[in-house]
Amino acid sequence: MTDPRLAAHTLRLAYGATPVIEGLDLAIEPGRFTALVGPNGCGKSTLLRALAGLHAPAAGQVVLDGASIARRSTRALAREIGLLAQSASPAEGMTVEELVAQGRYPHRSVLGPWRDRDQQAVEEALALTSLISLRHALVDRLSGGQRQRAWIAMVLAQQSTILLLDEPTTYLDLAHQVEVLGLMERLVKEHGATVVAVLHDLSQAARHADTMVALKAGRIIASGRPSEVVTPEVLRTAFNVEATVLTDPDTGTPLCLPRRTVPE
Amino acid sequence: MTRTAACALGLVLLILLVALWSLATGAAGLSVAEAARALLAPGEGRADAILWQVRLPRVVAAIVAGAALGAAGAIMQAVTGNPLAEPGLLGVNAGAAFVVVLALSVFGVTASAALIWCAFGGAGSAAVLVYAMASAGRGGGTPIRLVLAGVIVATFLGALTTAILLIDSQTLDAVRFWTAGSLKGRQLAQILPVLPYAALSLAAALVFARQFTTLSLGGDVARSIGQNPALWRAIAACCVVGLAGSAVSIAGPLGFVGLVVPHMVRLTLGGGYGRILPLSILGGAALTLLADTAPRALLSVDMPAGITLALIGAPFFIWLARSHGAVRG
Amino acid sequence: MKLALLCALVALAFIAALALGDQPVPPGEVLGALFGSENVPAPSRIIVTELRLPRAVTALLVGAALAVAGTIAQAVMRNPLADPGIVGINAGAALAAMVVIVQVGSLPETALPWLTFTGALAMAALIYAFAWRQGTTGTRIILVGIGLSALAGAGASAISVFGEPAYVQRAMVWLAGSLQDSRWEKLPHLLGWSLPPALFAWAAARELDLIAMGDDVAQGRGQPVNLARALAILACAMLSGAAVAAAGLVAFVGLAAPHIARALTGPRHARLIPAAALVGAALLLTADIVARRTAPPLQLPVGLVTALLGAPFFAFLLWKRRND
Repeated sequence: MTDPRLAAHTLRLAYGATPVIEGLDLAIEPGRFTALVGPNGCGKSTLLRALAGLHAPAAGQVVLDGASIARRSTRALAREIGLLAQSASPAEGMTVEELVAQGRYPHRSVLGPWRDRDQQAVEEALALTSLISLRHALVDRLSGGQRQRAWIAMVLAQQSTILLLDEPTTYLDLAHQVEVLGLMERLVKEHGATVVAVLHDLSQAARHADTMVALKAGRIIASGRPSEVVTPEVLRTAFNVEATVLTDPDTGTPLCLPRRTVPE
Repeated sequence: MTRTAACALGLVLLILLVALWSLATGAAGLSVAEAARALLAPGEGRADAILWQVRLPRVVAAIVAGAALGAAGAIMQAVTGNPLAEPGLLGVNAGAAFVVVLALSVFGVTASAALIWCAFGGAGSAAVLVYAMASAGRGGGTPIRLVLAGVIVATFLGALTTAILLIDSQTLDAVRFWTAGSLKGRQLAQILPVLPYAALSLAAALVFARQFTTLSLGGDVARSIGQNPALWRAIAACCVVGLAGSAVSIAGPLGFVGLVVPHMVRLTLGGGYGRILPLSILGGAALTLLADTAPRALLSVDMPAGITLALIGAPFFIWLARSHGAVRG
Repeated sequence: MKLALLCALVALAFIAALALGDQPVPPGEVLGALFGSENVPAPSRIIVTELRLPRAVTALLVGAALAVAGTIAQAVMRNPLADPGIVGINAGAALAAMVVIVQVGSLPETALPWLTFTGALAMAALIYAFAWRQGTTGTRIILVGIGLSALAGAGASAISVFGEPAYVQRAMVWLAGSLQDSRWEKLPHLLGWSLPPALFAWAAARELDLIAMGDDVAQGRGQPVNLARALAILACAMLSGAAVAAAGLVAFVGLAAPHIARALTGPRHARLIPAAALVGAALLLTADIVARRTAPPLQLPVGLVTALLGAPFFAFLLWKRRND
């Protein structure tokens, strides 16, 4: 594996006195699509927030290019790492283009003017998410799928090389799920981006991601190529389900068919 | 010309027209022409005295206070992510008014330059108190909690203010119109010392409009795109305190301007705060001036502007509470 | 047991209200005057029975009426922060009275409760009409109520701009919530308007228990929900109208008393209603003593005192519910 740019070292995350992540080590492969999976409450969203610098570690550190991210300014960090948060505001009264333009925040000084390359970044982001025809539409009037794409476009306009996405496919119908995941894949393959996404659908994650990391109760219980992670044993430990794992005839990636729950 | 620019121009014209209307309205019959003459070429006549000592201060007070309150409301809505946020409803105005009355009555402060700092102090303390009360707990500040906390603080400080005024009839005489939200009897000498603060706060609000747009996306998003939300919330709070404090010093605790105007702008033009703020400033000035002028001119009743604004604003508040997506459940 | 304790508390506050004043009367003489003893000096007897007694009785009844109205409102609106004061029912009552008072000066004692009752009922209906959207939520009721309350307040002030100044002055004192104008002649009306709905609500305590649990639950148990709610609101409006007619706008008693009572007796209305009435009576009696004795000879409006005492209590409630 090439040298990781983003990594977590003996990371401990907590809400007040309640620990969420305990002594976790993780290296994100650069130029790859990594999927974080695990049952509800396993700490994957908190881990993602910590990787983006939104949740200060109780112990250990998140390292970007060899230095702790705590030592970077929010603005400098945002130029390297973009995050699509799970609970986005309704962005009331804003047009799609205005929302996407917010992604240029870390590239402008407080009083800095809007430059050509800012507009260019916005145009690219709109094109990649096929939102050009909706650029003047109000975000709060869009359908769920379109709104999610607008938020993704905002993160893309940030032009960070590392993208962290918290459940980017939730609330999307099937077609838009495929579209968003396909977009992530393209960003990785064609633009050399590093993508880390929290995903719920294991088969989907296995099809699109290069690497999968399975968490349970704040610890990594398996990581590696999808075929190494989506196995009956891991599914039993992580999700407490008995499952059959088949192989996708088209892509050769694992397909997960849950059968029944098993007691812990 | 964009729609925004057209709206801005329209509002400026409206303000000028209503200002003239206001200058020409009053017990002593002054024609619009006379008023304009006295304004542009000041002389020593009766018309000049009336215009410069009675009517103009009132117009200036309405414009400055309205502009400041419109901007303050817009900023508060951006920062709290709450469509019902507004300096009147959230107790900020009541805080400023209370400390001013306290300073007048108990500490005998009378200089406008000192009273304005009392207004800032009161506005700031009330804002911090309401925000802390509303956002304690896991859920953070929901719209209803913020409004309830604001109502509590406003009621409490309002009752304290009334208690002081009941006990100290001398102060009551001095501030009776002011606490009732009436612009009657304002003097230029009271307004001028406040103007620099109001201008500075308005300028800051306009310059930082883009930051408030980013803040309005929520703390997490703001941080993830590189803003320091804590810093900018503090700056926004300073702007609100400066704006609401100036407005209260000039015009007393006027409510609902900060609620109605930014929403009207958002409904007509949508958009980030780069657009909402300047238009809220103009709209606030126009609405307050109209609220002060129309009852006098049309009904020959000197209704305090605060009451007219509440009569307009309260139904608007109800409509918002009823229809707004963010206030469900 | 707890109710007996509350009764004792009310009796204590009542005697204190009669004893304290510019001319203090020893408690022994107060009791003597009350029970017609021959040994009480004439001045004391006159002070107690003719000057202070009507006021104390009014405070007792108004406090109890506000508390029961608040209890009903909290059950019907299913929100522990609902209170006829906060959601504007009292303000509606006051507005209706203001409309007439500023025009004609004073009203016959019989007419005022009718006006305030009509205002309170109209306001309750408006709150429901505006908050109704495929059912209501407690949140929306409160927000709409706060808006209507502000509107009614502004309306009352606006009307006073048009009124006869002398009338307006008197109306404003009443509006601020004052027991100063307590007279024996007003008491029958207060009693007549508040006792029947309070007893009715107490008798229907089980229905209130059901309403408080939610429409679906109540309907499932066979309650005609809408009828029960309409009757409850009618009772609430009568109580609120009676209290406002007697003492103007007295804030927060209707909010605080049910909460204190609930902490003592639990949520069952059969015990909650009498407990709340007693707590409300004790609260208002105490608040009126404070209002009279803070800056004598000046008398603060009692509504001001309850606002100053009640707002921190409300803040405490908000704080307690911070994690809901």
